[in-house]
Amino acid sequence: MSLSSTDINAAVLAREPAESGKPSATYRVAGDRAVLVEYGEMEFDLALSFFMLAVDDAIRTRKLDGLIETAPGFRSILVSYEPDDLQVDELIAFLSDVRRDLNLSSGVQIPSRLLHLPIAFDDTQTRKAVEQYVQRIRADAPNSEGGNNIDYVVAYNGLPDHEALFNSLLSTEHLNVFMGFFPGLPFLFPRDPRHAVTAPKYNPTRIWTPAGAVGLGGPCWSIYPVESAGGYQLVGRTVPIYDLERRNAAFAASGLLMRAGDRVQFHRVSEPELLELWEDVYADRYRYEIVEGNLDVQEHLDWAAELSDEADQLREARERAATTIPVP
Amino acid sequence: MAGEVAEFEIVEGGLQTTVQDYPGRRGMLAQGFFPAGPMDHFAFRCANLLVGNDASAAGLEVTLGNVALRIESPAAIAVCGAPAPATLNGETVEPWQTIWAEAGSELRIGIAPGPGFRIYVAISGGIDVPILGGSRSTYTMGQLGGFEGRALREGDRLPLGETPGGASDALRRLKASELPDYSRDWEIEVLRGPQASPDFLTEDDVEALLSRVWKVDPNSNRTGIRLEPHQFSWARTGGGVAGGHPSNILDNSYPVGAVNVNGDLPVILGPDGPTAGGFICAATVAHAAFWKLGQLRPVGDTVRLREITLEQARELDRVLRRRLNETSLEDIE
Repeated sequence: MSLSSTDINAAVLAREPAESGKPSATYRVAGDRAVLVEYGEMEFDLALSFFMLAVDDAIRTRKLDGLIETAPGFRSILVSYEPDDLQVDELIAFLSDVRRDLNLSSGVQIPSRLLHLPIAFDDTQTRKAVEQYVQRIRADAPNSEGGNNIDYVVAYNGLPDHEALFNSLLSTEHLNVFMGFFPGLPFLFPRDPRHAVTAPKYNPTRIWTPAGAVGLGGPCWSIYPVESAGGYQLVGRTVPIYDLERRNAAFAASGLLMRAGDRVQFHRVSEPELLELWEDVYADRYRYEIVEGNLDVQEHLDWAAELSDEADQLREARERAATTIPVP
Repeated sequence: MAGEVAEFEIVEGGLQTTVQDYPGRRGMLAQGFFPAGPMDHFAFRCANLLVGNDASAAGLEVTLGNVALRIESPAAIAVCGAPAPATLNGETVEPWQTIWAEAGSELRIGIAPGPGFRIYVAISGGIDVPILGGSRSTYTMGQLGGFEGRALREGDRLPLGETPGGASDALRRLKASELPDYSRDWEIEVLRGPQASPDFLTEDDVEALLSRVWKVDPNSNRTGIRLEPHQFSWARTGGGVAGGHPSNILDNSYPVGAVNVNGDLPVILGPDGPTAGGFICAATVAHAAFWKLGQLRPVGDTVRLREITLEQARELDRVLRRRLNETSLEDIE
């Protein structure tokens, strides 16, 4: 184990530098029952997510007494342990070994289903959530002017109009890197870096969001599984992704539609069509379009690298536009 | 009694009474499930110990009080946690001790006047609601687990598990020396991190977090204890790729008990809280101190966060475990 002794403090137990194609690792104290290990720096780079997913998979394959569970983030893993059975130093040594032994040869495939989900943009329910926020929580929020969040996200990204924003969501598959916040909630990141968009979160947060709402927070898209509070900017609504009553065959296994590693491709429908689909889902007439498959990690990274110059130019334009827009 | 299922009935449900077990729902964090479970795990586990239940048995978490239940078959019960007036068939019930209830007994718990906010009731055999994801705990945010995924109300009938060898009628109590200290001004032990100084907050920010006396916000509940807004100076000018505010980070999973700084507002994540998100967690409550979160009253109580080391957290674990041992109990007369 090559642990660096610099930059260690009360919140950081160990750091390892980037080496031989592997990102750096930072081991953080997350209470006395968990360690948060972060890979690389805070950059929006799916390569870090793939590395994290490979480590997470290896942890589960190798197993360690006293390790209870892992919970991924975009570029990190929260590792819970039982301190009676496992010392924190032993856990970090184990995680360090897993990182060291990881063989990132080309041809790594992750199980990744492709889900085709309908979306109705700028629908009545998400507008209702924004209007309610303006009336009850914050009247002068710049992100809610005009009774919707779409105008704001369009301006924040320097896009010409609503359609350009909708097209950015529709033009690429999104990868569900991990789930959390609420049961079954996906953290979705665009595979095609040219279609990345970004938005600050609500401040303060919203108290009501309709189930199935699709929103953007930072560089991440998400779908709200049930009615709940929330902080993402809302653009539309899709079909249910969570049903503990399991009224549709898609929920038979767990009540949750999605798994980490899944990809989502949205397609556009009208709001009346979407409302009909909701009825069909609960009547078990709707069949979710789910294609089994894998994602070839190296293939994705090579493809994204080819697009990176164009993506960088688009990102710089977005960042220029963002400097002129107030943050909520 | 063969073929009959022992039951009890909720006569009054109170503010929020839920079925919980310890340690709650583990192994589902990656799907977005926080563990749920009793917010004050010390009082909860003590109640199970007093009625001779397995540590994994489910019991009741009562918020504030005003709860009544009728026990349909003979059972040992124990009431632990926040001091509150309680009676069994009109007779005063002492907390932190075993009580024998004959069939048809009615247990009434009044309002806890403070200090303390949550009361725990164990019944021998444990509450036998279905196990979901390895636990019987009610997860209020996900509306699942426990009894129909919700807080209990008048008329609910809940099944009790079997007591191997019959309910013990040994009456015992927690020794006075082992009783937890309740207060209106709490000191809660935390570990620094995962995201503190120098990378996210300044040293002064961490100092302020640890020295300020925080008022508990009335909107606190099982999902989180909200403190007061605070103007941190921050070690960064913004959140980088993660958003506009320096509290923003690329989304990650949160540990239960994390002091999550959401814009300017610190919130201590409770057992039903969000499992992940894009805000820093400056400190995390030590497991052995987590029970105190369950006893914070949302109006008037204050909190100070006291930093401890991992070694000190282990020592607190040992102390708590010693107090949850048979040797901490004594026979009543």
